[in-house]
Amino acid sequence: MTARFFESKRYHLSIAMLSVAFCLCLETNVVAADSSSLKRHENTNVILVSLQCLRPDHLGVYGYKRDTSPNIDRLSKSSVLFDNTISQANLTPVSMMSVLTSQYPRVNGMIAFDAAKDAVRSRTLPEILKYYGYTTAAVSGSPEFFMRYDTESGTEIKLGDVFSRSFDYFGRTRRGLGSSLRVAPTESLDWIQRNKDKKFFMWIASGVIHVPYAAGIPAADKTFFDSPGYTPFWNRFHSIQAEEGTPDDTTYDVLMRLYRDEYYLGFKPVHRLTPADKDYIVSRFDAAIRYTDRFIGQLVETLDRTGLSSNTVLIIHSIHGEDLGERGTYVHYDLSDSAVKSALLMRFPAGEMGGRRVPDQVQGLDIVPTVLDYLGIPPDHSLQGNSLLSLVKGEAGATGTEYAYIDRIPWWEHTLSRWYLEFKNSQVNYPESEKSAILEYGNMLRSAFPQGSYPPGDVAIRTKQWKLILRKSPRLLEKVSWYAFITGTPLPYGDVELYDIIADPLEQKNVAAQNPKVTDVLKAKLLEWDASVEKRKASYGAGEKRFIIPYP
Amino acid sequence: MSNQENQNEQMLINRRDFIKYSAVGAGAVAATMALPGFMLGNAGAVDLADLPMKYKDYNVVFVSFDALQAAHVGALGYRANVTPTIDAMAKQGFNFTNNISVASWTVPASMTWFTGVYPSEHRLTNKFSVFNPPNNNVLSNLKKLSPELVTLAEVLKQNGYATGGFTGNAGVSGGFGYSQGFDEYFFEKGKFGSMGVSIPKGLEWLQKNKDKKFFMFLHGYDMHGQNVPAEGFDYRFVEKGYDKKYTGSAAEQEALREEGLEKGAVALRDSDVRFWRAIYDEKIQRTDARFKKFLEEYEKMGLMDKTIFVLTSDHGTEFHEHKRFDHGFSLYDELIHVPLIIKLPKQKAGKLIKDQVSSIDVMPTILDLIDVKLPEKVKKQLRGESLVPGLKGRDVAKDVFFETDYRQYTYKRGIQTKDGWKLIYTLENKNRELYKLNKDPGETRNLVDQEPRIAYELEQRIFAHFKSIGHDLNAKQWIPGLNPVYDSQAKGVSKK
Repeated sequence: MTARFFESKRYHLSIAMLSVAFCLCLETNVVAADSSSLKRHENTNVILVSLQCLRPDHLGVYGYKRDTSPNIDRLSKSSVLFDNTISQANLTPVSMMSVLTSQYPRVNGMIAFDAAKDAVRSRTLPEILKYYGYTTAAVSGSPEFFMRYDTESGTEIKLGDVFSRSFDYFGRTRRGLGSSLRVAPTESLDWIQRNKDKKFFMWIASGVIHVPYAAGIPAADKTFFDSPGYTPFWNRFHSIQAEEGTPDDTTYDVLMRLYRDEYYLGFKPVHRLTPADKDYIVSRFDAAIRYTDRFIGQLVETLDRTGLSSNTVLIIHSIHGEDLGERGTYVHYDLSDSAVKSALLMRFPAGEMGGRRVPDQVQGLDIVPTVLDYLGIPPDHSLQGNSLLSLVKGEAGATGTEYAYIDRIPWWEHTLSRWYLEFKNSQVNYPESEKSAILEYGNMLRSAFPQGSYPPGDVAIRTKQWKLILRKSPRLLEKVSWYAFITGTPLPYGDVELYDIIADPLEQKNVAAQNPKVTDVLKAKLLEWDASVEKRKASYGAGEKRFIIPYP
Repeated sequence: MSNQENQNEQMLINRRDFIKYSAVGAGAVAATMALPGFMLGNAGAVDLADLPMKYKDYNVVFVSFDALQAAHVGALGYRANVTPTIDAMAKQGFNFTNNISVASWTVPASMTWFTGVYPSEHRLTNKFSVFNPPNNNVLSNLKKLSPELVTLAEVLKQNGYATGGFTGNAGVSGGFGYSQGFDEYFFEKGKFGSMGVSIPKGLEWLQKNKDKKFFMFLHGYDMHGQNVPAEGFDYRFVEKGYDKKYTGSAAEQEALREEGLEKGAVALRDSDVRFWRAIYDEKIQRTDARFKKFLEEYEKMGLMDKTIFVLTSDHGTEFHEHKRFDHGFSLYDELIHVPLIIKLPKQKAGKLIKDQVSSIDVMPTILDLIDVKLPEKVKKQLRGESLVPGLKGRDVAKDVFFETDYRQYTYKRGIQTKDGWKLIYTLENKNRELYKLNKDPGETRNLVDQEPRIAYELEQRIFAHFKSIGHDLNAKQWIPGLNPVYDSQAKGVSKK
């Protein structure tokens, strides 16, 4: 009896002690934490710098000859540099949302430029960081993230959709010297100085490198790489002028009339590009990079001066790349490597692991999982990317992404059909010979893409050696093709393209027929991915009012 | 607040408050006084510490009182004396005060007892596995949906047990495969049947099998909204002066349920809610009395000392706690917190076990108690753990998971940690509800915004749990549809 009594007392005592232990860890230990995992989220800031149209091969650190990026080159010495980063899309809002959610575009729902306010419900990085006590701020120099048009009223509205959701502060750039909003997001530097004592996440987006390249920056910087005495070729023809640029600017309207080295006006080639013409376009692109690099230098200087370098993860990445005529087109129309290959560097606090280079292929959607992993935050179940930390650390067996996937959604022409063409019609002084044809083309696009319908898109899979592009509806693509329209010549599309990106990095030669086995394997893999994405695709805010994301 | 209301409030002692009471609820104490002879002083009764916990070849009687909310059981703190027989057994047996069902309605919840896997895995998550009216409707069936699963009755049968199930049909109808492994399985087609029918059928079977070792499943809908007593209500608990807006019929209950589903809330006056609880109490008390008669007959057969009793319920029911009525469509405490009482042969001293456990643990516990050697396949199949260590005094508290895809009206998944956090995640709209049950047992304050990190981490736990059992919740879209449970919904519907 006594023994039993003692037993029971001890039992109750141990239960009580257990309960105390429970109460102590209750608030913070809902998920059983790996005892070795570091809780860096308690005191580490994160800055994500997203740059539109930045081609890695135009940065010194990736081997570019021109001195476009002294600051990034210097920063890379204390950073981890990724040599093969692939964006999930060739268009800014689509690719960026893929980064912020670590989800493929159709899964998060950012699949078009007519976005409903709640089209994207997926979690974003700032949302997760806020759960862990971060102050979140953004300064965007890319109108894609803050400007929305209401086609009914014809006015710009402040929609506050998913790009600004979960930010305690969301700043934007104003018009610079010219009419372009695409100026350096320097307000971010002030915010960082003012808030250096908070634990923060800062997202900085810049569109300076976007067409019209460097249009909003001081003339001396804009013309820095110009050849002396060069006059833009388009000035000899009917001058096409749009709101965003001055006559010497590389406007969208000029660049989208270039096809296979010919300048088209009135559905005819009117000028063959000379090396000087091409050099001018590239020079302006590089001048935009140089100016952006200077901003990066200021950012790093701010972090050093405030002491934040020692407790801040700084990530710089391209939202996507840019075509500079390699495959016949400019801007970022298709899934070429030049349009989807991205720069990516990560500087960890105090330059930890600095100087490492990662040759493996990785994806834009790996950025968020890497940040969470580094901070010791459990990964969200909805993430589709992978943490790159083990790869960075060189852990045995760590590899990159064997298969990267890219979605060309929406087609450029879908975006034109929604608003852009109409807008441009009223804004751009097209040649008389194009005016009525452009109206008809717009009508045709609208009938090809009825309201609420989205083109099937194209998809691509990429390995370290191959890239395979699948055109889901080549006949429709041929019908709506902008380049078929401006050249007045039908452009045939096959449904499969395979490129050997090692032997043929500019993707000039479709070798699908010569490599049937590779084609079959990659195609099957790509279709498997496509089906898995279709199964879980977002409902895209059906029935909600849509607003236009301006472009360019 | 009127006196009557006050009294009613007090009657509803929440299970979280329950630990404040030293022993068992007042109702249970009262019940002990009124105990029939069979429960007390059985010859050869042994003390708790001397119980062998191994009962090879003993009988098992497994009873499901369908739709019995934990808060209405005296042994779990209810103040009204409506469950004297159940309470008496609880007092002599192990009374799990924090047992959480894996689901909030019969079809998915009950099959988990018999397969030891979660509803997502046994796949009886709706009445129809295919519902494409008028011509393409396929009733859910265990053998078709999950042919690899072995049932509790099959294991027992393989071990030489006679197996008999005596039920009220509907959600545990043989048609779903509930009969798998039973020598005899009674269900009255087209009914939400009563123990008034299933008990006599069971006793008949017992007469024939009492000399063998047997496993008996006894079930009835007597407490369920779709069942009314054959003899009618006497309204014994209804307060005087109620204006009789409702009469307690199955049709009224159904209309209230459907109104709640359609509008998100039912307009009920406090007096109506009290009326419905009074009706529920009457049903419970009548059921308890039927069960008492069953036990009396059982004792006459001399089987008490040779039998393990397991008393439980598949789910609770809602009386407007969250503005709706009936069950299945959500995962609140009133729907998933259910009694679990295990009384071992010759056990005379009972014990409260406050550790949080799950209905997923029932099958492994029974198999452990009767000490059968489990085939590897069954060992691998079982997701829960035996609660026998808990009977021996060890800590068996665990975090538990639950789910419902009720009629495809909604798709919900949930977790409840042993330290009292609960997250309900609704898949079709990603809605999250976070409750701190110790402070908010009524689940009225959603803390998602105040405790975002806890909500986030619990959400990860839910998704990780379902992924670990082969159900990646992200692998598909969750689109609400129509998958009727009740005939009235299935008749005349056309595909949308």
